Amino acid sequence: MKKVLVIQEDIIIKKILERLVGLNNYTARAIKSLDELNIEDQQTNFDLIITDILFEGIAPLEFVSQVQEIIPHKKLLIVTNMGQDKIKKEIYALQGISGFFSVPIDLDEIEKIIQAYR
Amino acid sequence: MSEEKFIFLIEVVAVLIVAVWISIASSLIYRKRRLKVLKYIEETFADIVSRYLYNDIQNPLTLIEIQRTLRKAGIKSHKKANIQYLINLMIRTQRTILGTNHKKLKMLYAQIPPYRVSISKITGFGWYRKAQGIREIYEMDQSQYRHNILRFRNHRNVYVRREAQIALVVFLGWESLRFLPYLKREISLWQQIKIVEKLYDLYPTPELPWLKKAYKTDKLFGKQLLMRGIRKYKLQAEVNFIIENLNHPNYEVRETAIYCIQTFVISDEWMVEVKEIFSILPDATQQMQLLKYIFNNSEIDLDFYLKHLYANNDDLKLKIAEILWNNGYKEKVQEFYYQQYAKINPYVE
Repeated sequence: MKKVLVIQEDIIIKKILERLVGLNNYTARAIKSLDELNIEDQQTNFDLIITDILFEGIAPLEFVSQVQEIIPHKKLLIVTNMGQDKIKKEIYALQGISGFFSVPIDLDEIEKIIQAYR
Repeated sequence: MSEEKFIFLIEVVAVLIVAVWISIASSLIYRKRRLKVLKYIEETFADIVSRYLYNDIQNPLTLIEIQRTLRKAGIKSHKKANIQYLINLMIRTQRTILGTNHKKLKMLYAQIPPYRVSISKITGFGWYRKAQGIREIYEMDQSQYRHNILRFRNHRNVYVRREAQIALVVFLGWESLRFLPYLKREISLWQQIKIVEKLYDLYPTPELPWLKKAYKTDKLFGKQLLMRGIRKYKLQAEVNFIIENLNHPNYEVRETAIYCIQTFVISDEWMVEVKEIFSILPDATQQMQLLKYIFNNSEIDLDFYLKHLYANNDDLKLKIAEILWNNGYKEKVQEFYYQQYAKINPYVE
């Protein structure tokens, strides 16, 4: 079964995404921040990571780079409250970003992407 | 000071310090417990919402189960702070989600209104609670209460009526414009912008029949609101409403019309009308603004500019001279200059 990592500080979004991913036959692991990451997570090659970019003490771009560096993965999807065009452009300028969704989000669109990866 | 008095003073200070320590400790304990309760409510709500939006057919989430779970998490009628916290979570979630899930959430909220707290706020005393109740209702998209909110559209308190007007826009969209003639109190510029922005966010497709009906309003703020709407939605076909208001007797209405027309490029026929209106505008500052628009959006009309070059307003003359000078009509400006010089110089024979 394919594995997905959800990193969201907002408990409600985290829970919804975890559920959405789980119902689409993925194994979901959901965490609030990188602090909750364990050694096993860092050794797992996730098929998809769905993450926020707005965390305390770290700039959005730096956070994305950190995730890309420390967690093995195939695809990276951003779901965030921070939807400014400037940030979006900067994020897309990075390598390996599969999608960017800013709040308010249409979960159906995210589900389509998740199903396409299956 | 005697020894006894000194010891008594020390005892009083010691008691005070102990009392302060106790209050700090109890406050810390209370905060810790409160945070734990709030976290539990948030997690419970997150679980309910996720299960409700993506219901498992094998293990479906029922309404009774939702209500029981919420009650277990501390959402009870006498725990007002918990209920308020839940409402804030509901609003936050509603704002976060779009599409079919937004509709599902609306249905969920209609089924689990937390003890009708928001609606009871609007029937209670105090403008703050009323405004808060109205805001909560429209943020949670609880349109079943729109009739209760409607009567607050002319409330004497500005915050209550502002929220009520926004609620009407949220619930009715373009249809809310039909209430424009019935508004008795002024809508501020800020509120006009808020209404137009909310309408645009929630109802991006214009419904022209409601707009056309609203043109009949005699309310000045109504006219301003409609023009801002036309500008926001870039309704080129409705630009005549803005042009008609360029020479409105009211200064603010004219100002809004001049501001809004600048978004549009208009046809030559309409430009002729704008130029005619320019000639009869009673305010020189607004004439300058309109002149700038005319210059930026039409070819150089020499007759029009010369007519106003020889008129009475010095600021306008200067601006027109500048336009002509920079656009290949230097000789016309020189001609005007010497003609003027000849007139005012008493030493020329």
